[in-house]
Amino acid sequence: MGIDFTSGFIILDGAMGTVLQQRGLPPGGQPELLNLTEPALLAGIYREYIQAGSQVVYANTFGANALKLKRTGHSVQEIISAALRIAKGAAGSDAQVALDVGPLGELLEPMGTLTFERAYDLFREMMEAGAAAGADLIAIETMTDLYEAKAALLAAKEATDLPVLVTMSFDESGRTFTGCTVPSMARTLEGLGADAIGLNCSLGPDLLVPLLRELCENTCLPVVAKPNAGLPDPVDGHYDMGPEEFAQALLPCVEGGVTILGGCCGTSPDYIRALVQALEGRTPAQRHYDDVSFVCTPVCPTRLDGVRVIGERINPTGKKRFQQALLENDLDYILDVAIQQEDAGADILDVNVGFPGVNEAEMLPRVVKKLQSVVSLPLQLDSSDPDALEAGLRVYNGKAAVNSVNGEAETLERVLPIVKKYGAAVVGLTLDKTGVPQTTGERVDIARRIVDAAAAHGIPRADLWIDCLTLTVSAQQEQARETLEAVRIVRHEMGLQTVLGVSNISFGLPNRPLITQTFLTQAMTVGLTLPIINPNQREMMDAVFAFRLLSCEDKECRAYVARFAGQSPAVQAAPADKGALTLDEAIIRGLKTDAGRLAKEALAAEDELALVERHLIPALDKVGEGYEAGTLFLPQLLSAAGAAQSVFEVIRASIAEKGGTPVKKGRIVMATVQGDIHDIGKNIVKTVLENYGYEVIDLGKDVPPETVLQTVQEQDIRLVGLSALMTTTLPSMEKTIQVLHTLPEPPVTFVGGAVVTPEYAKKMGADYYSKDARQSVEIARKVLG
Amino acid sequence: MELNIDEALRYAGVRGEPSGALRRQAETVAAALTEAVRPRYTYRIFEVKRRGDGFYLPGADILLPGESAARMLAECDRAALLACTLGAQFDALLRTEQARDMAQALLLDACGSAWVEAGCGEAERELQARLPGVWLTDRFSPGYGDLPLALQPALCAVLDTQRRLGLCVTESLLMNPGKSVTAVIGLAARPQAARIRGCAYCALGEKCTLRKGGKHCGN
Repeated sequence: MGIDFTSGFIILDGAMGTVLQQRGLPPGGQPELLNLTEPALLAGIYREYIQAGSQVVYANTFGANALKLKRTGHSVQEIISAALRIAKGAAGSDAQVALDVGPLGELLEPMGTLTFERAYDLFREMMEAGAAAGADLIAIETMTDLYEAKAALLAAKEATDLPVLVTMSFDESGRTFTGCTVPSMARTLEGLGADAIGLNCSLGPDLLVPLLRELCENTCLPVVAKPNAGLPDPVDGHYDMGPEEFAQALLPCVEGGVTILGGCCGTSPDYIRALVQALEGRTPAQRHYDDVSFVCTPVCPTRLDGVRVIGERINPTGKKRFQQALLENDLDYILDVAIQQEDAGADILDVNVGFPGVNEAEMLPRVVKKLQSVVSLPLQLDSSDPDALEAGLRVYNGKAAVNSVNGEAETLERVLPIVKKYGAAVVGLTLDKTGVPQTTGERVDIARRIVDAAAAHGIPRADLWIDCLTLTVSAQQEQARETLEAVRIVRHEMGLQTVLGVSNISFGLPNRPLITQTFLTQAMTVGLTLPIINPNQREMMDAVFAFRLLSCEDKECRAYVARFAGQSPAVQAAPADKGALTLDEAIIRGLKTDAGRLAKEALAAEDELALVERHLIPALDKVGEGYEAGTLFLPQLLSAAGAAQSVFEVIRASIAEKGGTPVKKGRIVMATVQGDIHDIGKNIVKTVLENYGYEVIDLGKDVPPETVLQTVQEQDIRLVGLSALMTTTLPSMEKTIQVLHTLPEPPVTFVGGAVVTPEYAKKMGADYYSKDARQSVEIARKVLG
Repeated sequence: MELNIDEALRYAGVRGEPSGALRRQAETVAAALTEAVRPRYTYRIFEVKRRGDGFYLPGADILLPGESAARMLAECDRAALLACTLGAQFDALLRTEQARDMAQALLLDACGSAWVEAGCGEAERELQARLPGVWLTDRFSPGYGDLPLALQPALCAVLDTQRRLGLCVTESLLMNPGKSVTAVIGLAARPQAARIRGCAYCALGEKCTLRKGGKHCGN
């Protein structure tokens, strides 16, 4: 008999750990082992909860994953089957038993080194064991990372048919420890197919009330509350709420719409009994769902209740520098493009990595992960390859959008199930096999077809965004009107979100920004909500800010004023002494924008190599000398490196345009060694080396010796830099050097990092000890020239 | 709770008096950081028993071996175990800043170190306020002197730091998120020397005989 989460109240159990501690177990142990040693004790606790009124008990499997059990000598299957045997024996037919699944105990990428895929496998092992041992449902709980919750939920859904309940822990600020918001959690997990969602642990019921109300507005699913018995006393660890107070404090949560209730830390069977009594005679409250279109990352919930700008720049089409970056796996360049758009005010970033020679199904998830490690904006995955879309959506953290489907039946049948499975939003282009329709009516007809297909796949209307297609006005002048009218109907008659790639409109015309900006304003006026534009183009974002002001979205004109208030005419005009600033000075003083501008100007007179040799390197050397003399410090050295980077970007773009070979002085492999996860030191060295013209192959952090070896072999590398932060990871630095020394011609190695000393370096067989970034440049010069 | 800019600049490798521009840059970074992230901490107090092999905390089943712990806890019958972190949100800010501007990232990293120290200071003040008449030793952490780093997992387990703070320890004993501190603070019935922070902070002040003799208790 499955449990029905949707009718009436369901009473869960209370804490297991607290009760165990009350019975004399010290804190900090591994309670899952008690399944093997203390079955009677556990069975007794379950029975007490069931007698108190629990309809569901959580088996003692919270930490029964392979990571946490590694040192115990027991397998996941062994612990989980024992735990469920005890719980099911105690429950009989009086209660249902949940497989309890807590966090893995290590942080996932990008915070830690545990990959999403590995986390999925670890959870899947638990889910399979739980289902085999007869769990009635799965309770994923105490999650603070939405990404980890997603891995667990996907594993539960793909490995079992059991109902899944997912609860996360929030603090009073309304965020989890990783910064996840309540709306992001609710709409992501509902999209992924959870059966009920809620909050557990973290706080007492009184402090959870506002968060639970927010949760109820952001989901149609039944909502769970399993709070702590108030707050713990730091001096003795006791929680401050008694059973009666706890139960009464839960009632406002019930009035907010919560129907599945239990307790977490500090609660016991008495609390559950009090809760059951307090609920007597009550019925579930009416819920109000806020049916808004929405995409998100954990930290950036994005309600589509006004104009939201989709940045179009992550796309190789027509951009040689971008194509080169893709083919060279230079993801740092793509990050740069993303950050510029975020800084320029984009709300969502379109991500397209389709280019001949690029395996999209492999590249898109890599780029998604990389982008999500530094950019907080939601992404719109843009590909015509369904496998790439699925791979990208799978590793995406949050609720993404997909660009795109169209009116063709095959495309709809192939892509919509993927959109549904991952709970994404989707762009529907109003075209089909016959091409782009020429009339408003035909566009609207296709839009209706897409709406029907989406509905048939269970995709909510709020998740469907229709693109009525911008055509080039210089080629088909009358089409602009048709597009605008179709946008109006889709937005105002059909009530859907509308997307348009705006820039196309002005192709082939002089003064393009004027036409594009005017069309953008016209389109927003008739109902365009999601313009796809280049947010770095000031005129476009100006139009968006002006529109938001005039449509009352920008309350009290705040955003508009903030954008323009500082721009007095005097500031806008170039200061008279700008001409006096030389490229060398701009680099030395770390003036990024000026350095880039002056480099462009200098390219008119000098070639790229001369720019590097005569300006960039001498300027960096001057800063380096100041650093060595103690008159300049690391922040200034890095500012200069940042300015040099913008010069290099100008040089790379210029070379890519001409199709020449990039200026590169030699390749260096750099890695933060295995076990080490903090890599800012290595990144500092990398930045400085790159700005001296060296190509750095950055293997990242926690890099196994074998990966370094393999890269050195495959790419014939002559210089390797290794960084270690902790005494505990020095052995893996040494091991990496040993492994490299097995090569017939080992590369030169240099080492550095907080705990590395010249003596250690020598002892472990490194060729050089590098005390800082500046010294690394000297080493690179000696070895590579 | 205040972020000490001078301390942050020292962490960033700045010696002596920085230029006004650099100090202002650091102040701007610090202001944005303290606005965005607050240190979180948790602590528990345990009884301390002196044993042949070190100082044992029965309530936590943790042994603090070695000379450093012996010196710090010589006069203590209880100790507080403390964990403090800036959380994963700081690490996310730092990743973004590293992609945007390495110089700013360096300053942010340094300000983060100073900010988590400020959090520890705040926890100590709170602890002191809860325990009038009790004297606190300086806080000391695994890795200080001969106190083993290997204590890290047990300290975090007993403080339940993953649940309370989102703080994990990796197999190589690194704390994650990056800006995190665990520490032991001895609790005694008489004033404790500032063995780590130095004489300027010490309750003994000018009365200290070591200091009169030109020495101090930190070594």
